[in-house]
Amino acid sequence: MQLWLMFSVVALVLWGISGITQKLATNRITSERSFLWFCWAMVALSAVVMLVVHLNWGLGKMVLISAIAGGALNGLGAWTSFRALESGGKASIVISLVSLYPLLTVLLAVLILGERLTGLQTMGAFTAIGAAILLSVETSAQA
Amino acid sequence: MHRRRIPKWLLWSLLTIALWGTWGLVSKIASTGVDAYMNQLLYTAGLAPLMVFVAITVHREQGKVIANRNSGIFWAFFTGILGGVGNIAFFQALVKGGKASVVAPVTALFPMVTVLLALMFLKEKLGRTQWLGLALAFAAIYMLSA
Repeated sequence: MQLWLMFSVVALVLWGISGITQKLATNRITSERSFLWFCWAMVALSAVVMLVVHLNWGLGKMVLISAIAGGALNGLGAWTSFRALESGGKASIVISLVSLYPLLTVLLAVLILGERLTGLQTMGAFTAIGAAILLSVETSAQA
Repeated sequence: MHRRRIPKWLLWSLLTIALWGTWGLVSKIASTGVDAYMNQLLYTAGLAPLMVFVAITVHREQGKVIANRNSGIFWAFFTGILGGVGNIAFFQALVKGGKASVVAPVTALFPMVTVLLALMFLKEKLGRTQWLGLALAFAAIYMLSA
């Protein structure tokens, strides 16, 4: 198995498990409080990383901005998805709709980074998005 | 003339797509000059302003009595640890040569794990749509890794 794929599967599994633990959290406390403690965990993890890992602080401006923007974009995305649900959007529709986000990543990566996909990978990207939508529809309908 | 207004939930949903979709791109750009651990550290720095904003909101409801508060906090914190370690793995995938256009769709399949765990541990039943989603998810991983 290629290394990048192995790490992708690890991310997929951990994020998948967090889908269950998040549900356990929001069954007991509000989504805001849950998000806040989610962030505290990120801070704690960062502290551990700083203590355990030898970090290279020599960073380029573009890299620094992109990495910080990553946290802001992902966090804001979580917040706007809560807002979509609070603004009257049905969970089954909102969650399915936001599952389309990799489509934008693919588009931007092709246009801006000049990435090229094989025919099979292109088919795979669309199949993945379809799969994510199908998985979300029923999950949210049950919730 | 009567003007049709776009529903707020749709605007928030589209904004979510824009934010998360762009996250994949900036993560790939960052991974060209930073390792996965440093990326996670900077990611947390980017999260900080939103954290302050949410903390103010949460502080306002401090007086309310919430049953099961401690267990809720535990699960939320644990979710953050899983999410953060998952982020490091995601950043590693990009550092190790994974294309953003492939890694993003693969990792976006994480609901398949949630569904499988709900089936195994929470004894939830899967509908036809979910079974089809699971089958498509496995097929997609195979095609994307080819």
